Amino acid sequence: MKLFFIAVFILSLSGISHSQSKDSTITNSVKISGFIKGENSKAIEGANLVIEGTIDGATSDNIGYFEFETDKTGKRILIITAIDYSEKKLDIEIVPDKDLQLNINLSKSNYSTDEITVTASSFTSGENSKVTLTPLEIVRIPGADADLYRAITTFPGSNQVDEGSRIAVRGGDPNEVLTILDQASLNNPFIFDNDNNVSSFSTVNPWGLKGINFSSGGFSAKYGNVLSAVLDLQTYDIPKNNTLFAILGLANAGLSGVFANKEGSLGGTFTAGQFFLRPMLLINHTDADYSPLPTATSLGGTLSYKVSKTGYLKFYADYNSDNLGIKSQTPTYEGYYRGKSKNFFTNLALSVTPTAVSLLNVSVSSSIFNRKINFGILDNTSDDIYAKIRSDFSMPITNKIDIGTGAEYEYSGYNSDGTYPYYFYNIALNAPNFAYSSKNNTGRFGAYAETRIRPHDNFYIVAGVRGDYHTLSQNFNFDPRLSVVYRLSKFSFLKGATGIYHQYAALSDYALSFNNNLKPMQAIHYILGYEFNKDNDFIFRVESYYKKYSNLVSNSTYGFLYGSDGEGFAKGADMFFKVRFKPKFNGWISYSYTDSKRKQYATGPLESADYDITHTISVVGTYNITDYLTAGITYHISTGKPYTPVFGSVFDSTQSAYIPFYADYNSDRFPTYTRIDINAQYIFSFFGKFAVAFLALNNVLDDKNLYGYTYNFDYTRKIALRSNNNRVIYFGMGFQL
Amino acid sequence: MKQKIVLIVLLVFLVSSFSFADDFSDAILKAKKNLKSAENKSDEKALIKVRGEFERILQLKKNTWIVYYYLSYTDFTIASTYMKDQVKDKIKKYTESGFEMINKSIEGNPDFSDSYVMQMLLNFNRWIYEQDKMNDIISATTAADEMAKKLDPNNPRYYYTSGVSSFYTPEMFGGGVDKALVSLNKAYELFQTRKEKEDYYPDWGLENVDGFISLCYLQRDKEGDMAKAKEFLDKGLAVNPDSGFLKEYVQKQYDEKNKK
Repeated sequence: MKLFFIAVFILSLSGISHSQSKDSTITNSVKISGFIKGENSKAIEGANLVIEGTIDGATSDNIGYFEFETDKTGKRILIITAIDYSEKKLDIEIVPDKDLQLNINLSKSNYSTDEITVTASSFTSGENSKVTLTPLEIVRIPGADADLYRAITTFPGSNQVDEGSRIAVRGGDPNEVLTILDQASLNNPFIFDNDNNVSSFSTVNPWGLKGINFSSGGFSAKYGNVLSAVLDLQTYDIPKNNTLFAILGLANAGLSGVFANKEGSLGGTFTAGQFFLRPMLLINHTDADYSPLPTATSLGGTLSYKVSKTGYLKFYADYNSDNLGIKSQTPTYEGYYRGKSKNFFTNLALSVTPTAVSLLNVSVSSSIFNRKINFGILDNTSDDIYAKIRSDFSMPITNKIDIGTGAEYEYSGYNSDGTYPYYFYNIALNAPNFAYSSKNNTGRFGAYAETRIRPHDNFYIVAGVRGDYHTLSQNFNFDPRLSVVYRLSKFSFLKGATGIYHQYAALSDYALSFNNNLKPMQAIHYILGYEFNKDNDFIFRVESYYKKYSNLVSNSTYGFLYGSDGEGFAKGADMFFKVRFKPKFNGWISYSYTDSKRKQYATGPLESADYDITHTISVVGTYNITDYLTAGITYHISTGKPYTPVFGSVFDSTQSAYIPFYADYNSDRFPTYTRIDINAQYIFSFFGKFAVAFLALNNVLDDKNLYGYTYNFDYTRKIALRSNNNRVIYFGMGFQL
Repeated sequence: MKQKIVLIVLLVFLVSSFSFADDFSDAILKAKKNLKSAENKSDEKALIKVRGEFERILQLKKNTWIVYYYLSYTDFTIASTYMKDQVKDKIKKYTESGFEMINKSIEGNPDFSDSYVMQMLLNFNRWIYEQDKMNDIISATTAADEMAKKLDPNNPRYYYTSGVSSFYTPEMFGGGVDKALVSLNKAYELFQTRKEKEDYYPDWGLENVDGFISLCYLQRDKEGDMAKAKEFLDKGLAVNPDSGFLKEYVQKQYDEKNKK
């Protein structure tokens, strides 16, 4: 009986305390009130305050004021939270019948959960980075012809080579730019490359890319064997749906598709395309004489398999071929320059997360590039063979430190066979010539380690080292690199980078060196810049750079063998200004100033480098006229590229040809280059499916830009070779099947 | 004796637990009611206040996953109040907070269909301020769509969200009012027999379905559609006579169409 009454007593106590806590009119309550402020004493609306372990609390109003009543007493913890601010815990003492007034300051939490691009000179696109170039922007840039590389040349510091897709960056040569696709080096991503007065196109499909990171200097220790710039591309893992898309234009036809199984564990993509010029030439005038007409074929795809919740195995294969003949004139020969090339590239990449926070990527890649050139007496076939195995591992050590490390082995082979003229200026069919065959190969071992440190919320550092060993020349290089970013405010950054960069010469150069004794070419970068980026709607970036070159491949003064005595520098400043007024307008202006000098010989003066283009301006604008109709315009202007003029000649009876006398190397310049391109795209429904029609007018004013100079037979008359990129109208349609 | 003491202790414990459970239920049901009231008026300040209520309920450390769900829903609703004037930085702020909250909810309970419906809704907002990540938005929405349907194939809010998506997607891109009506009508049917597991589980949506069905008929404008539009508008107002969406928006659309 006694126990029964005890139980009832305890139960009623519980009931009483429960009803007390429910009672909204609290007796003996204490009022807690005050203000919550953030930076610069700005009131914070919507901040939440609560006594830990209870639901007693309040939300601050638009002047930051809060108040609430509580019956809790004694030492308590008050928790204050607000979106975009760091949580604060305050020790308070609540004394019965004594109201409490508090003035509380909160500080901003870490500004971004997105990755900050901790590299100067970077332009990026992707899922987790500060975007400055999207696939949609790439395909919409007038004059870019939906080509990623051409789109990049609208950014400062990059110049097109012969109005094509190959680019030269900040006064460096085009071969100082490396393209990486899912860890594999993409050595020949172009068609019609280096073909006489025919602009190259890239074979990379921008729509298949989930990440694009272009760095024109100061890049991380991850990237080896490159002097100036890196274009790092990542393809999508597994598509999320099934689509088939066809495209038909004046110069090309293509079919592409993506597929994925229901579970999302297996998927793939494919693209097939054919480039042809005949319909284009029927509508547009050209002075070029083609035989055969340029054609190109491409076929490629990916197959992806989800090996685990976060792991993927991806196979990528791509085949491209091109063929053309174009009539060309030199002092000793006039006839068809004929070029053919084929490239087959494969990459097998595995991406897994060994732990919840670490990432391991391993890839094996290969490519075979075959090229055949015939022009006058020059008749040559060459093969570039490449294979690489690479692994990268990254993980955070603490919440302020990440580490990354990796290693790679790269094999390169070069075979060349053919007939060459004795003298470069005489390619007549009866010119003195020799047969030459060479076979060369090398391996390169590389490894790196780097750390990303955040010593302070607004300060990031990436420090790394890498080493490479080149088996053919038996040389080793050691490259320390450093990048820093200091966040001045929510939207503005100061960025700097420095480092040593090495690149080994082409195997064709080793073939012409003494005992393969060419040192790794070196560039030391110094970069400093400022960026203001407000949600990618307003970007202003200014950057200055200095690159000190040494051990460049040089001509020997006394013989014909190459050496490593070349040196030089490239310095300049880039400016980039982009605005986006959603949903209508998107545009940017880029300007670059470059001063790039090199020594071609061991002794001798510094002279203008081949891509020492002093001033370059690009202006790009696209406007959404309606939700379905977009139009755009691009304007390029750049001061002339250097070239070496001929100032005289002498007749050589043994060759029946004139020998030219050249002025100082690169002592003259082409005229200023200008070009305006416009385009429009219209999205509509075609038999109930998505379709897009496009129209482009390239070189609207038909500017007579120069491809180069040639001369008559005795060099008494300089003949301007106009670029074949006349005013051209191009149209086509793409549609979903 | 010992057994009796154990029994008493057990009784006290059960009663205490029941008290705390009552605290949680009472608090969350009260907050849910305040949320409905603030949402009806599309009152940003009242919604921010309600958000604070939910955040304080986290201190009870019970079923925090459902509390995070409501925090996410409130964030989404606050973001919606800025849609009319397209205040992008506010839309982004509350949408990203919404993502943070729903991710915490999913961590606590990965099998709740409505959490993935919430992800679908939040991803719609991303089109306003980060269109350039459209590939990512599409893939995130598709992934959330698949999970929401897989976990509860009879979730009316899933069909409502799909219907709204179709309503705002141009026909040429695979949307349109006819496609929207299929999903919205399915949502309507499912709501008629829907019973949530707990009274503090989300049960929103029926009047929204009615409203969007009405909008579909207004837009389609075939014979008999005006009458259908009125029918569903009235149904929605019968469910929630205070709905700002129905009174301020759908009713106005109907009145304007009716005048012509």
